[in-house]
Amino acid sequence: MIEIFLNEWKGFYRNRLMAVVALLFVASLALVTWLGVVQNQKQIESQLKAHRHIRAQWDELETMNPHKAAHFGSYAFKPNTILNSLDEGVNAVTGKVLRLEGHTQHDLVYSEASQSLLVSKFGKLMPSLLFQFVIPLFLIFLAFNTYAKERDSGRLKLLLIQGTSLQKILFSKILSIWIIGVLCLIISILTQVVFNGNAFHADFPLRMILMISSYSLYYLIITTLTVLLSAIFSSASVSLSTTIAIWVLWTIFLPKIVGNAVEKLSPLPTRVEFQKAMDEDRSKGIDGHNPSGERKKELEKEILAKYKVDSLSQLPINFDGIVMQADEEYGNMVWDKHFGKLYQQMQSQKRNYQFSGIINPFASLQNLSMGAAGTDMFHHLDFLKQAEEYRRVFIKTLNDKMAYGGSKTGDWDWKADSEFFKSVKDFEYKPISIKTIFPKYLTDILVLVLWAVVMLTLVNYTSKRISIL
Amino acid sequence: MILLQNVHKSFKGQKALDNLSIEVKAGEIYGLLGANGAGKSTTLNLLLGFLKPDAGAISIDSKNVVNCNMIGYIPENVNLYPYLSGLENLDYFCKLAGLKYSKTELYRFLLECGLQAEAHHQRTETYSKGMRQKVGIAIAYAKKAKVYLLDEPASGLDPLASNELSELLKKLASDGATILMASHDIFRVRETCNRIGILKHGKLVKELHANEVSSNELESIYLNFMHN
Repeated sequence: MIEIFLNEWKGFYRNRLMAVVALLFVASLALVTWLGVVQNQKQIESQLKAHRHIRAQWDELETMNPHKAAHFGSYAFKPNTILNSLDEGVNAVTGKVLRLEGHTQHDLVYSEASQSLLVSKFGKLMPSLLFQFVIPLFLIFLAFNTYAKERDSGRLKLLLIQGTSLQKILFSKILSIWIIGVLCLIISILTQVVFNGNAFHADFPLRMILMISSYSLYYLIITTLTVLLSAIFSSASVSLSTTIAIWVLWTIFLPKIVGNAVEKLSPLPTRVEFQKAMDEDRSKGIDGHNPSGERKKELEKEILAKYKVDSLSQLPINFDGIVMQADEEYGNMVWDKHFGKLYQQMQSQKRNYQFSGIINPFASLQNLSMGAAGTDMFHHLDFLKQAEEYRRVFIKTLNDKMAYGGSKTGDWDWKADSEFFKSVKDFEYKPISIKTIFPKYLTDILVLVLWAVVMLTLVNYTSKRISIL
Repeated sequence: MILLQNVHKSFKGQKALDNLSIEVKAGEIYGLLGANGAGKSTTLNLLLGFLKPDAGAISIDSKNVVNCNMIGYIPENVNLYPYLSGLENLDYFCKLAGLKYSKTELYRFLLECGLQAEAHHQRTETYSKGMRQKVGIAIAYAKKAKVYLLDEPASGLDPLASNELSELLKKLASDGATILMASHDIFRVRETCNRIGILKHGKLVKELHANEVSSNELESIYLNFMHN
């Protein structure tokens, strides 16, 4: 088998046209990778700059009313990593900056898609585009004729009569072409690693293993499928057309069809519907029988009783701060209820999409690629969760300062000093460990492994049954 | 020894071989003459194990299962790997058969099969059909097989190379090899083979010893069968 494998590689190496195509391909791969690195570094720098600027603004706050500071707010930045430059995932659409403010939970803003018409229309030239579309296509063009040319030239008979088996020939050819795909992938990833050497984090090796394994499995599936069809069909052009048709179905049509289907299965509310339901719950109460006015009266009674006074003016604290925190906490409950439902629906959509891998391994690959890069919906939801947790602590700190910092009820001119604002900790996103989130990708991994096993079994089965004449 | 007994083979209802029986003994060169579609290639493909007979029995060296190690095969068009030299092609095919020869031995095989030394290191994409054929012969020869199955082996060879091939086959036969050669070339078959069979529409219509007839007589016998 090793002889056939080495001979295939000698063929690739000595074929001038192939050498030129391979050189152009590697050059474009290097260029795109380098562009990705430059772009990513630029993004990291501009994000760091913006982050420093925002924090500096906060640190330089002059004496101010804490509630005013809660509306001044802050921003949570989703950090950029080297992995993001490999697969941007949902970040391009969702953005990486979240405004944090009292009373309200904002959506993510400043997505690249929203800032560039060109990007949103045509997509960016990212390494993931090469990994998911260009390398598989390259493998298809390498593999579609590999068996047919042996058969059509009559060389297959010579090979078989030398004692080698059709099984060995097919598997050697699959292996020799598959390794080219894996090498292209590794070269591209290594380039990223070399130019982004300072961007490592503890999770990086495991995430890289997951990413490289996922792409390697997908390349094995696509190479095996191409060689299998090349062995089944008597004409190389028919096998090429069929392989391309399947590739188009997998990469273009099925993701759209399945995407629409999962949206129908677990429909999400529109932003307007979502916001309206939140506003309604907040004003009327979650159960619809506890309007905000009533809640305020009950809270007042409770606080007056606690401090054993008759009126708000007798309180040693600022009741306005307590009301705002209570309202905030009620708002949090409302958000938890609605966002919790939304979260479940999004998880359900994602799960249903993952199952589409059974008919489309490309879906599993995309899920795993984004998952390993930390840019998929699961990671995005984790960022939203951490940012919201921080926002709650952040607003509570400000409300508590308002309530217990020394001011009295109704004293809206009271100001906290700038040292207090400086003492409020900044948001720092702690990326979720791949070990923690790994179980969510088991379906995708199993589906890819299953596809690879089925494909290899089919090649083995076919090698024993097809006519070589 | 090659043995075909009452072999039948049809393709989509069309008879390719009809009750064919041939026996080729060790040390014998058997020439199979016939027009296009007479069943020569089908016979070879059955012996190579690429086809299964509909009926009848086939054995090589008294075994019903094809043992590739004992068979050397030369097709009508030897398609080699164009990016390899003649020497590299021979080395590759030998390695596939589990044979590891030194370079000197490989040179010798090529030279004995008539390929000039200066061509050994040239890529076969620059070879003529005849040169490729010689490498194909060397591949079969290097296997030191017990049985040789040849499908128009002299196709594309110049008269000198054809003559050298005949001499090589005779040498192999004298060493005990069993050789079955399918061809259109009446003269070459007459010069090389001990026995000759004429196939028509999948039937063996005539069998004769080569030393019983001259080339001209063989040609008229052949044409006579083809016209009737």
